Amino acid sequence: MEFLLELNTEEMPPLHVKNALSQIKEKLEAELIAQDIDVVQIKTYGTSRRLIVIGGFAPRQKNRKEEIIGPPKAVAYRADGSPSPAAMGFARAQGVKVSELKVIKTERGEYLGFRKIEKGKPTGEILSEILPQIVSSLSFPKTMRWGKSSFRFSRPIKNILCLFGGKALSFSIAGKHTCDSTSGHKIFFPKKIKIKSFPQFRESLKKMKVIIDPERRKNMILSQIERKLASLKAQLYPDDELLEQLTYDVEHPRVLLGSFPEEYLELPLEVLSTAMREGQKLFSVVRGKKQLPYFLGVADAFQDPKSLIRKGNERVLKARLEDARFFWEQDRKISLKDRVNGLSRIIFQEKLGNYGDKTQRLKKITAYLADKIENREVKNQVIQAAELAKVDLLTEMVREFPSLQGKIGGLYAQEEKYTAPVWKAIYEHYQPISLSDESPLTLTGAILSIADRLDSIMGALGMGIQVSGSKDPFGLRRNAHGICKIILDKKLSFPISRLFDKVLNVYGERLEKSKDEVKTYCMDFFKNRLQYIFENQGYRYDLVNAAVSAGIDNIYFSYLRLKALDSLKDSPQFEPLILISKRVNNILRDQPLSKYKVNPEILVEKEEKELYETFSIIKSNVLPLISKGDYSQSQRIVFRIRSTLNKFFDHVLVMTEDKRLRRNRMALLQDISKLLSRVADYSQIVIEG
Amino acid sequence: MSIQSLIMNLQKFWDDKGCYLAQSYDLEVGAGTMTPDTFFRVLDERPWRVAYVQPSRRPTDGRYGKNPHRVQKHFQFQVIIKPSPSDIQQIYLKSLTALGINLQEHDIRFDEDDWESPTIGAWGVGWQVLLDGLEITQFTYFQQAGGIDLFPVPVEITYGLERLEMFMEVKDNIYDLNWSRDVSYRDLRLLEEKEFSEYNFSYANIKRLREFFLLNEKEANQLIDKGLLLPAYDMCLKCSHFFNLLDSRGAISVTERVKMIAQIRSLVTRITQKYVAKENFS
Repeated sequence: MEFLLELNTEEMPPLHVKNALSQIKEKLEAELIAQDIDVVQIKTYGTSRRLIVIGGFAPRQKNRKEEIIGPPKAVAYRADGSPSPAAMGFARAQGVKVSELKVIKTERGEYLGFRKIEKGKPTGEILSEILPQIVSSLSFPKTMRWGKSSFRFSRPIKNILCLFGGKALSFSIAGKHTCDSTSGHKIFFPKKIKIKSFPQFRESLKKMKVIIDPERRKNMILSQIERKLASLKAQLYPDDELLEQLTYDVEHPRVLLGSFPEEYLELPLEVLSTAMREGQKLFSVVRGKKQLPYFLGVADAFQDPKSLIRKGNERVLKARLEDARFFWEQDRKISLKDRVNGLSRIIFQEKLGNYGDKTQRLKKITAYLADKIENREVKNQVIQAAELAKVDLLTEMVREFPSLQGKIGGLYAQEEKYTAPVWKAIYEHYQPISLSDESPLTLTGAILSIADRLDSIMGALGMGIQVSGSKDPFGLRRNAHGICKIILDKKLSFPISRLFDKVLNVYGERLEKSKDEVKTYCMDFFKNRLQYIFENQGYRYDLVNAAVSAGIDNIYFSYLRLKALDSLKDSPQFEPLILISKRVNNILRDQPLSKYKVNPEILVEKEEKELYETFSIIKSNVLPLISKGDYSQSQRIVFRIRSTLNKFFDHVLVMTEDKRLRRNRMALLQDISKLLSRVADYSQIVIEG
Repeated sequence: MSIQSLIMNLQKFWDDKGCYLAQSYDLEVGAGTMTPDTFFRVLDERPWRVAYVQPSRRPTDGRYGKNPHRVQKHFQFQVIIKPSPSDIQQIYLKSLTALGINLQEHDIRFDEDDWESPTIGAWGVGWQVLLDGLEITQFTYFQQAGGIDLFPVPVEITYGLERLEMFMEVKDNIYDLNWSRDVSYRDLRLLEEKEFSEYNFSYANIKRLREFFLLNEKEANQLIDKGLLLPAYDMCLKCSHFFNLLDSRGAISVTERVKMIAQIRSLVTRITQKYVAKENFS
């Protein structure tokens, strides 16, 4: 039977709508299954003002069959075959006739009893019970109260339509009682109409200028945009986030194409698109990379008969662009260099000093990193970029449009004729903002971004700030992800522990926690983040552990290690190697680490001599490969130790009585284990079967 | 068409909805929310309906009369209704219709914009209302004020009168607006904007402002101890205004900002607690 629920609310944020819909679907489905009600389908729709669920459910709960067991057959009948008092008593207690009792075979023997059938309740009855609970249990990033109720929800609930099999179900939520009607678009069709079924609901709402399906609305927006742009031979400056937002913001999308005076085209594309997006939620229009004097807006309407919507938006945008142009001109009257001193006026973090202090640190950290990456050329450029990186925080433009930080500094630097590696580094140094964002394209930008983020992370950790669960007020995770992503994308190879030391030294006495404490915590923090990133990329968790546990000091190398493990995991040599390396580790496990060096003179057995020789060759081949980061070749070579090692275990007794021989053999195994662990921590790998 | 007639239309509309029409408060405030007709009246459980025009000062927004839409003093039309009626959104839309705006020809949007005023320990959930992309109203369900949960929940509707009038008159410059048939916004306000911009940005004496702040803080404390909560709250408003002036003089560091806001909030919180205790007692 058809189920339809519509919660009509005041405008909810798009994220709230999407979260709520998936929660309702999940909870309702789970609850129905738990209640033994067949679910044919369940689907959701929504706008910023509506949460809609439709479904096909069985009309009733399944009947419940139950066997009720009475007295054993042996005592249930008298000798003459008539029912005994025990049988009659049982029947009476259960409210059935004695003649209805049957013999039921159980594991413990034969008993007298009967099959009871409990009729399932009507689904509508159950829905009326569970829906108020489900709706009140929805979680939102932020909730509110309204009127005289203490009920909490994303925004006030205005109407609840709920039908099952064409009939209204009866329950209330937040003091609102359900009904069998809804209303259309809040401006065009606010009057209520009766609803009988989902198809009628969908069609009536469509007539009343509400398109309930987000996918459909998105397609409407896109196809209208395409039509508007066709004649201009232009494209939309893509902004998926804005498109998604607008899709939920409106109940009936109407795309409008507006224009602004060409004089504003002197502003950079970044400034124009930000001025359009923020506040008015307009898309900018480009041809190739060139901004055109047009914008696209999405109105919650189906017409713009007098072009008032377009004209209104044009006027508002013009005022905003006028402001932006004012900032662009004012800001450039003071050179970036002349602003540097002003950085000491803005606080970076209360206990960590101001942005002037941060700038000094960034210069030192970037210089160090440039040396480590052995690129002398970039060193001067990146130091210059570091000096100017934060200066745009002092500009009017960033005050008005905070999301332009970095970018606008880069653009001002470009205007001041700094070289590309310098201005681009400033421009890109907040990238990537998430794991799906692009890393900086320039090496200078990459170095500056790493330095900036690590300075923030270690500063915060040094003040005793910890990251746990959902608590990460300083965005340390995001910063660590950014650093890892840049290192992996740019294939940067350097020891991160040394970089930690550098940052800690640059902070000097400023931090509250001891350097060792911060460093240890930081190493662990990065290890966890790297594991998260790798697993997020779809690598098997045990391979990730094997790669990461072997060390993350060189983050890029730990990735190469993982890739090697991943590419060789299906090789026929892989499992045997794991098994034998586990065997080596088992023998070594309870032994103290020995400083004793293998003495080839006292290798007596043929198999141990062979093992020593093979190992020496493997080692001399593998070490240079490891230092180059060639882990797949290293692994392939390491595979070769297996047969000699097997023979060794088969023929040589490690735990021999002779102390000298035993110590020598243990030392050999320890060397082997050490080498293996530099390729990967094989003990982490799970072998199934 | 004039600001004056806009005000009269709004007053007529909200009078019909049972609102008491208050007169503007006679102290400098940053927003209509801060006046006693809103602040104290949302704290108790009694129903309350009020509407009034409130001049609101934002010293840092001064532009010496040169910016066509930014001024250091503007006018808000403030409505508070407690408890929030279930059809308040439709009522609000009707108020726009009552002003002569045909909503069917426009795009009216409720855009997520939660409101917060740390100085008076208040926050709420709501929207900025956009009319063809122009922000004309802030629409908020108050959740807390003076640091306490509000029950029943009041709804606050704040119309930006200049914005709305620029829309109605289809003008791009605030100073071109008509205040009445014969008097323009320029006539009334341009000199004020010029002189106050000079004062806010250059001539307000920083040392004395700090002293004023401290003196008023002291006075507030003394009054709270005496249980004179309304006068004490006035002192908080003065503190808040001196704080804003110091800010526009660029005299406040980030750390100091946090500290001064906390100072005012702690006064307001004490006032709130005493006020609520008194209310419950009476």
